[in-house]
Amino acid sequence: MVELDLQEKEAQEATTLYGIDDSPSGHPYIGGWLLHQRAQPVTKLEFWIVDQEGRKSSVRDWPEKKDPFTKEDLLNSEDNQVQQLIFQIRISTYIPNNERLANRLIALFNDAKEEDPDSTGISVDSIRSFYNFLQKHTYLKYPIITLTPDNDIYASWKGGQNQVFSVHFVSNEDVRFVIFKPNENNPERKIISYGTDTVDTLMKTVAFSGIWDWISDEK
Amino acid sequence: MKSDQIPDQDHIARYCSFRRLSDDGQPEPTAFMLKPARPAEPPEESLSVNWLEYLECPDRTSKIAEIRRIYRETFDVGAQAKIAILNVGEVCDKVRTESPDRRILQVLHDPIVTKDPSHSGIYNLRQNDRVIAELIVETVLESYSAR
Repeated sequence: MVELDLQEKEAQEATTLYGIDDSPSGHPYIGGWLLHQRAQPVTKLEFWIVDQEGRKSSVRDWPEKKDPFTKEDLLNSEDNQVQQLIFQIRISTYIPNNERLANRLIALFNDAKEEDPDSTGISVDSIRSFYNFLQKHTYLKYPIITLTPDNDIYASWKGGQNQVFSVHFVSNEDVRFVIFKPNENNPERKIISYGTDTVDTLMKTVAFSGIWDWISDEK
Repeated sequence: MKSDQIPDQDHIARYCSFRRLSDDGQPEPTAFMLKPARPAEPPEESLSVNWLEYLECPDRTSKIAEIRRIYRETFDVGAQAKIAILNVGEVCDKVRTESPDRRILQVLHDPIVTKDPSHSGIYNLRQNDRVIAELIVETVLESYSAR
């Protein structure tokens, strides 16, 4: 009898779902991006479902877990969400530099996982918020992207001297921002603005901060 | 001695992992933010640095080599990680004169006996001090590979 490991099955489903193959020459299979997915021991059970007419049918491949929901489950679930969001960025061709952004996020995720395999790599809420922001503001230049010690995304746009716009994506909705801009009368000095906002209104809030020239590709 | 203030003219080195660097390998503000509390760890109280002049090496090259040795013997060093070099006086002056709350940072010797006697810390930071981190990164003088 052909036995199908649950993880293989999930991988096949994922491949089908995204319509890509994992051949070396093709677009890489999404799971191949992440270096530190640990294999989970899977114990197979066999269940029988009896229908109203008394016919028995087998349900196989259910994983048995002593603890119904472990930290490992949570991490794997979050890892999968992060993968999916990175994949969404990669295929969103209307987001400028979509592939470069996705590659950068993968590199950051892998670096975080390499140092601490039990960490979330990148915070799911933060990357979701970042993705929503990118979808809405397609005129922005490619930012410098790093991770905070909380594994949140921190995106910065820099112009010349004393020109900085940084956004910390702290949750699904909330962002914290910092703006440095030159003092027009004393260009060697800077004006500092900072605050809290929601991802949907941030750009309205900072619209008159004089940052447009160095963060936008639009003339 | 522990808690000695490091002189303004001296220099400190900060380890910057890959995810705190820009695409072109420059340290970014996230390299100067405190770690939050974790399940088995309290939140960081200070930013870990090494006091370069304490090492008593004759030049910058040998100091960097010594810092690399200390890192190697203390933790797993990332292949693309960097060492950021800062001047103590410049960091404190920049933050004191430009931060909205005129923050006075302290850079104190905080030796880890036998393992890392040059270990020191930047104190008086808070969690998610984004503006301060943005100011500190502007004072980075040089960066070197951490391996």
